[in-house]
Amino acid sequence: MSTTITKEKVFNHPIDQIWNAITKAEEISTWFIQADFKAEKGYNYTFSSEPNEKGCTTISGTVKEANPYTLIYTWIVADTNVETTVTWKLEAIGNTTKLYLEHSGIENYTGDTAIAMFESFNGGWDNCIDGLTAYLK
Amino acid sequence: MQDNITKLFKAIADPTRRDIFHALVIATSALSITQISNQFEMSRQGVTKHIKILNDTGLVQMEEQGRNRFCFADPKPLKEVNKWMQFYAQFWDDSLGNLESYLDEKKV
Repeated sequence: MSTTITKEKVFNHPIDQIWNAITKAEEISTWFIQADFKAEKGYNYTFSSEPNEKGCTTISGTVKEANPYTLIYTWIVADTNVETTVTWKLEAIGNTTKLYLEHSGIENYTGDTAIAMFESFNGGWDNCIDGLTAYLK
Repeated sequence: MQDNITKLFKAIADPTRRDIFHALVIATSALSITQISNQFEMSRQGVTKHIKILNDTGLVQMEEQGRNRFCFADPKPLKEVNKWMQFYAQFWDDSLGNLESYLDEKKV
């Protein structure tokens, strides 16, 4: 079972436009998740999904690398203490840009931490995903 | 449902149980408790304890043949673990789709 997710997508947009979209807080907050973010190594960022009556969750982590065009940060959901890592890489190909996304460390959700995670969310996680998806749409 | 997931994670959190499960997955036939204890240089009691926990999750199935009990692996319950992968795969697909729409709108 592979525990790293990789995605590749080619955009018909200039590389700097995409770099800004994934590194600037106001842009991340528009298309992704409400963000307190700086593309600076060592910055402790917070992503907050739209708050609702179920008290939705936050994602936090530390920026590990932020040099055009590679962005790496850790990704910790709420207070699970499970550290996963998200890597973004951009590559200009002619007039298009190839985006490479990798989310690794998901196997860390297994074991006792996963039990804690399931218990802490206790059904709230699904609501969170729905909220997140609705927000993203 | 949640109890099953909890049981499953507890079962596979233990490295010895993962090894036993793996040995059963790659075995060409069902193995008896004695065969497993020999392979892992572990007491029958120890193996029985681990097998019971794996059996509770459905990862290991038991078959009685005369006085012997044979164990074989059933990986189906691992799908529960896999749902984290599925969740994030979908999450990133949606997010990248969203990024594209955002960039398209900005272009106009």
